[in-house]
Formats: sequence, structure tokens, C-alpha cells
Amino acid sequence: MFASLDPLLHSELRLAVMSILISVEEADFVYLREKTGATAGNLSVQIDKLNEAGYIEVERGFSGKRTRTVCRVTRKGMHAFKQYVEALQSYLNPPKEE
Amino acid sequence: MEERQLNEKESLELIARMIQNTQQKLEKGNGMPFLVWGYTTIVVSLLVWYFLSRTGDYRMHYLWFLIPLVAGPVMFFLVRKDEKGVKTYIDRVVGYVWTVIGLTGFMISMVAIFFWNLPILFIIILLMGSGTAITGLVIRFTPIAVAGFVGIVLSLACLFTQGVDQILVFAAVFLMMMVVPGHILNAKGRK
Repeated sequence: MFASLDPLLHSELRLAVMSILISVEEADFVYLREKTGATAGNLSVQIDKLNEAGYIEVERGFSGKRTRTVCRVTRKGMHAFKQYVEALQSYLNPPKEE
Repeated sequence: MEERQLNEKESLELIARMIQNTQQKLEKGNGMPFLVWGYTTIVVSLLVWYFLSRTGDYRMHYLWFLIPLVAGPVMFFLVRKDEKGVKTYIDRVVGYVWTVIGLTGFMISMVAIFFWNLPILFIIILLMGSGTAITGLVIRFTPIAVAGFVGIVLSLACLFTQGVDQILVFAAVFLMMMVVPGHILNAKGRK
């Protein structure tokens, strides 16, 4: 039996954002855009989706005179990511039938 | 990168690639905290040594307060200027290590200046050497780790030196423990 893949994570840009945030403490919008190569508009939409799902938390503040958006993965996001990776593994290494 | 569905293999490859991307490389400016604290400590030490050996006035020890007064604002400015957009677990660990060492160093210095006669220069080198060694080990940069351990060993030299010349030993150890590895770290970051 294959586990279902979380549709929220099974999309290129959202998965990229989550993979980055899983491996760091926090990252700002500029850093995420640079690492993913996404457009600002698209990245912003995907960040909002992840935020609405409770997978990441978004903090909007200021750095000097510039606005700065900082993202962090939440416990729920961490759990969802772990389940997603386990589901992927079950697809790639299906259990052998006796 | 777009909002596109991936197959399972592509998903795992993407996760691996992004995680790889976040691995921090040594960057130009990484050695700056060592240089700021190192040079400030050396200059202030020489000032204290000079005035103390000239006048013998105990109040010259208050000049030590110049170290946090000068290096603190410079570090604040540097941190704001070099905001790199990402904070890793390593950044957090190194930050905590230096916060604890900084607070301990400040507290023990206050005790030594106002209340108790302690071998404070030895203690400060021991503390800073420990912080430097831990930082070097955590960021996996051997010259910093080695400099830290060298500092820990050389801290003993302060115990064997008498009078105001102890301050010169203190400055020399800071040169080896912070300034030299700070320059090496910056030079590596530039490559």
C-alpha cells in the first residue's frame, strides 16, 4: 500500500522552500528567492500557502529602512515534511511481496 | 522554479539539492568578530600597560572598559550591515557560546575590578580560548580551533608573569588566539 503524497508539498517551489527551511533555523524572502530562483510574485504566493497550512511561520519586520520577511518551519511543517519523505521512500522502495 | 508537479525521484533530488545549497561556505568577513575583539583588546591592553607602568595608579584599570565600549558598537554595526538572510543552527550555537562567555567574562571582570583580587587576565584568556576552540570545532575550521587550544595553554603564561608585564603577555596571546586566525578565516573566505 502506498502512502499518499501531501499535495501541498508535492509541488516544485513549495517543496524547495520547505527543504531549505528544514535545514536552517530561519531564512528571509531574499535568500529563498536566490536559492530557488523563483520570481518574487510566485514565491510570495507559495509562502502564503505554506503559511496558511501552518507549515511555516512568517514574520514581517524591518531591517533598517527595508521590509524583511523571515520564514521558519513549524512543528507541523516538520512533521508533514517527514511524512512526505517517508511516503516518497515507499514509492521508490516498495515493500517486497512474500 | 515554478509550481509544477514532480515525480517521486525528482522530489528527492530537489530536497537533496536544496539542503546542499544551504550548506554555508566560509565567506569574506567571517573573521571580523575575531579581528574586532582581538585588535581592540590588544590596543586597550597596551594603553593600560603604558599608563599603569608610567603612573602606577590603580584607576588606570578602568581603561579596560574601553574594550566593550569600542568593540560592542562596532560589532553591532557589522552584524546589521552583513545580515545574510539566513540563520543556521551553527549560527545559533556559536551565538549562544559567545553570549555565555561574554556574560561570564564581564561578570568575573567586575568581581576582579571591584571586589576580589583574582588572576583575571588568566581567567579571561582561558574563557576566550575555550570560546575560540569551540567555535573552531563547530564551524569545522582548524586554524580557529588550534588557536583556541593554543590560547588555553598560553593562558598559564599569565600565572607565571609578575606585575604589569602580565598585560603584555595577555596582549600577545590575544594576537595569536584571535587576530591571526581572524585574518586566516577572512583570507579563506575571499577565495
